[in-house]
Amino acid sequence: MIDLEEQLHRYSDFKSFRPGQKAVLTQLLNHHDTLAVLPTGGGKTLLYQLYGAITKQRVIIVSPLISLMQDQVSRLQYLGSKRVIAITSAMAFEERVAILAHLNQYQFIYVSPEMLANATVLAAISRQETGLLVVDEAHCISEWGPDFRPDYLKLRTIRKQLGNPLILMMTATATKATRTDILVKMGFSPENVEQVIMPTNRANIFLSAKICLNQKEKNQVLVDLVSQLNGAGIIYFSSKSQAEQMAATLTQQTGKRVMAYHGGMANQRRFRIQQQFMNDAIEIVCATSAFGMGIDKANVRYVIHYHLPANIQSYVQEIGRCGRDGHQSLAILLYEPNDQYLQLNLMAATIPENQLLAHLYQHPNQLSQNDAFRVIKYYYDNGKSFEQATQIFNQAKLRRQRELNTMIRYIYTTGCRRKLLLQYFDETIHDLNPDLCCDFHTDFWGHWQSFNQQYLMQTQSVEKKPLNDWRAILDRLFLLKN
Amino acid sequence: MELSTLYILFGDLTQTRRAKALKNILAGRRTVSNLYWALEYDLLPYFGALRDFKLGDEKNALDRLAHLGLIVLTDRFSFQLTNQGRDQQVNLLKLLPPIKKLTIAAQNDVVRFSSRFIFATQIVSEYSYSNKRYYPQTIGFFDDQLIKRWFIQNKQRQLPNYFQELLDRFLTQLHDDLLAEIFIQSLTGHHFSGETEDQLSAKMGVPPTIIQLQWLMLYADLLTRVQQIPTSPLKLLLVGLARSPMANSTNKTLIMYRNTDYTPEQIASRRRIKLTTVYEHLLEAAIVLPVNQFPFSRLLAEPTKQALESHQPSIIGEWAFKEAKAAIPDLSFFEFRLFQVLDKKRKNDD
Ligand SMILES: [Zn+2]
Repeated sequence: MIDLEEQLHRYSDFKSFRPGQKAVLTQLLNHHDTLAVLPTGGGKTLLYQLYGAITKQRVIIVSPLISLMQDQVSRLQYLGSKRVIAITSAMAFEERVAILAHLNQYQFIYVSPEMLANATVLAAISRQETGLLVVDEAHCISEWGPDFRPDYLKLRTIRKQLGNPLILMMTATATKATRTDILVKMGFSPENVEQVIMPTNRANIFLSAKICLNQKEKNQVLVDLVSQLNGAGIIYFSSKSQAEQMAATLTQQTGKRVMAYHGGMANQRRFRIQQQFMNDAIEIVCATSAFGMGIDKANVRYVIHYHLPANIQSYVQEIGRCGRDGHQSLAILLYEPNDQYLQLNLMAATIPENQLLAHLYQHPNQLSQNDAFRVIKYYYDNGKSFEQATQIFNQAKLRRQRELNTMIRYIYTTGCRRKLLLQYFDETIHDLNPDLCCDFHTDFWGHWQSFNQQYLMQTQSVEKKPLNDWRAILDRLFLLKN
Repeated sequence: MELSTLYILFGDLTQTRRAKALKNILAGRRTVSNLYWALEYDLLPYFGALRDFKLGDEKNALDRLAHLGLIVLTDRFSFQLTNQGRDQQVNLLKLLPPIKKLTIAAQNDVVRFSSRFIFATQIVSEYSYSNKRYYPQTIGFFDDQLIKRWFIQNKQRQLPNYFQELLDRFLTQLHDDLLAEIFIQSLTGHHFSGETEDQLSAKMGVPPTIIQLQWLMLYADLLTRVQQIPTSPLKLLLVGLARSPMANSTNKTLIMYRNTDYTPEQIASRRRIKLTTVYEHLLEAAIVLPVNQFPFSRLLAEPTKQALESHQPSIIGEWAFKEAKAAIPDLSFFEFRLFQVLDKKRKNDD
């Protein structure tokens, strides 16, 4: 039997495994197909990085988040693997051709499900021996989930074309029903797949929410919090422009170093802000929920939602970005009654109106012209009538409304927030510490300053005192050996 | 970049300039009309210098500048600087390296060079600290490959020392600590993440566009310096940066015309392109090339030229084709434009 701890030290700088990692690796090394439910920050990347390093085999990672894929490549490089590449529709045609011609040079290949459905790409990948197929964000295969991606349904056949390699399906949060759905859609019977499920609960994150009278009050609360809270923070917004505006306001009114961070920015700018956040040169980023961060910053002390997310799963994923170092952290959701309409509008934008649906059913050639129509195209191609499709989308709309209502119930709850949250994932907790659980057990909002003082650590800055003298900066940039 | 800042920098106190053409010139939108205006405004060497930047909306920029009294609009989309605008121009120019440096960015892909150089600096900086665990920048597949190859080939050449010396010499020679500071903040490396243009803008109290121009011009300067060192370990980072002054197809038309005695009609049929396209290619070449490298006399018959000379007004740039045509009935637009180009180029040569 392989000594996993030894391998961990050999191939990474980590001192020990995070919960669940060892169990998953053991299953994989015993050649068992595995479904892993690991919370964000649970170290998903390390799993396949280590598997690849130990077995020297090629790993294909299917991931739906094109905007994040390059970050994932960087992250794997950061973790010490250099032969990594991503194939996405975002890259230039010549680039893709060059990469496909030299695919054998890469051990870790990231690919979007849409790209994998492309015959040329699939053929090039099938020519290589694949040791492990990783399906990231596996819940995207679930038709009744909010992140449904029709191309995920093709993965079952694609796996066969790749010679049925060992498979690792991963997701951060999945209810029991979603888990079963994933397995069925991938063509497994549940008894043939090992499931490693780690609890969603993150005991070191304090949960709180505040209902404000209006936006003005919400802004004031945000300014107060940001001025005083210790350590690094992420604030989530539902639009880029709001994130930009608030970053400017907070810079002006709190004296803290705040930057906006979202998908609309140029690569170099995004990289620099990411670096600054990693190096603690800026303390707070105003981000859009649609756009996560590829980096793994361990010492984020708090996550504030300026706008509520669409559902509990997203919320749990987003707050999971704080406290990865295990120290006490804080999740705050700010809400004012108008926010739900904002979220309803966003929701309406993701589900096609009847009129559009009717138009596309009459002009099906337009279905392939826009990526946003891929779900409609899927139903059309599968012979669903207009009436059936309408019904499916109406149901989707109702489902999302229900999910949003659950989210709002979380905000208005008069009980323990953690219990409510975990109930959603069929989880229970036994040993909760009421002082560090949520704002139901203590008067958090009356005493958040002292909570901050007592529990949230200040950042120990890595980037030394900022220098203004270019000579001093230059001297420090390169360590010269004489 | 803020178009309003660029309009101040590239506006003129006496010559009326078309806002749209000015923007297209800087963005490098290669049409005969844009090239012609670039010639007319003496901005041909700047053609396409800012092609990698988003330049914003003309109307907003003009409204803002007019409102501030920095320009006067001569019609809805043309403007001249006011005296106040001219003062502002002088102030902005003081913040920049000599504006001529921007022409390097028209001839070379300076932005691409800068992203290669910044990435190379990060790699060398981390390498000097023996740190292998860091997030590398992402600069596209081909450049990524290029930099990996470069690093492997040059690792033995004491790169940290080389970078340190190169940058120290380069920044010292600027004789401007503020510019040197702005340059160094464009880099990233071991526990150093530099600053964005808006962070520097807030710190220095100058518009973000000026910071971006400073960066572009400083990297242009650095590029020329590195090009001049034949043994530089950075040689490989310079490949594929040169920009050709003419489009490929234009060049083909020109070569065919120069090397044969084909008429434009014959070239059109040989090259299977439209006759108007042939004329556009020839005009583009006439504008871009030095006078003695373009066959003006073959395309502009002596009698036509003499007729044009005898009717031309004092400012030929404002001569409308309609007026010229009224005086010389069988004049074509091509001949008219070609004459304008020739006249302007001769005056520039004097
Ligand atoms: Zn609780």
